[in-house]
Amino acid sequence: MYRGREGQWAFVLHRISGVAVALFLLLHVIDISLVMFGPEGPFEAFLVFYHNWPFRVGLIAVIAAVVYHGLNGLRIIVMDFTSWGVRYQKPMWYGVLGLTAIIGVPVLWKIVPEILRGA
Amino acid sequence: MSTAQRAKAKRPRTFDEARAMASSSSELGWWVFMRISGMLLVPLAFIHLWANNMAFNAGEIDFAYVVARLQQPGVRIFNSFLLLFAMLHGVNGLRYSIEDYVRRPERRFLWKMILFTVAGIIFIFGVMTLWAFTYEEMGSAVRALGSE
Repeated sequence: MYRGREGQWAFVLHRISGVAVALFLLLHVIDISLVMFGPEGPFEAFLVFYHNWPFRVGLIAVIAAVVYHGLNGLRIIVMDFTSWGVRYQKPMWYGVLGLTAIIGVPVLWKIVPEILRGA
Repeated sequence: MSTAQRAKAKRPRTFDEARAMASSSSELGWWVFMRISGMLLVPLAFIHLWANNMAFNAGEIDFAYVVARLQQPGVRIFNSFLLLFAMLHGVNGLRYSIEDYVRRPERRFLWKMILFTVAGIIFIFGVMTLWAFTYEEMGSAVRALGSE
């Protein structure tokens, strides 16, 4: 397998996170639109599935994917529209990873106990 | 790899390079759109995630919570922008993946048509959920369908 340098991994993670978030978006619009069927409709049944701990762990992964994809997207924009962006793409990528991890701390701090209490 | 091939394989890094490489003016338009919508989606998606996962316990979301949120005009307008930009950005991103990984042209075409059809229907569901009906109206309309 070709193991590229930082830019290659930035792209691979951007692609995987993007596809994952886009597929979740399609699912998420479907599940929210189930409220149209009223309080006795299929929405609550869907929520039981959503509130299972494996799905909630998956939601943390979706949040991580959105954060990484968004921050790395800003890095791509800087690379595309500034004269200096490409020169600093590598440190900017480490910045993206670091910031994603930092944002992850309060997210995990809040959500993991919720999942543990619910399970 | 020759210099010409390498130049061809390079990703566009500036607007001018993208313009020179774009196979059509619509591809150039999508290249620009991905960047503009991406910039808008960072605050839209981050605020959305904050409101429903950090300011609230997502494990306690129920019918009443969703209806109470979606009845606020501000949330409806915010979510409309989020829905529009996320769907266009996400579906175009999925299209890029199909263009990259589905090699046979007829299968590529088929996958894209499936994607656009499914996404179009889901987008209409989303718009209906945000704007078309009150939930009481919709609920009774759907129940009436079932009782006929």
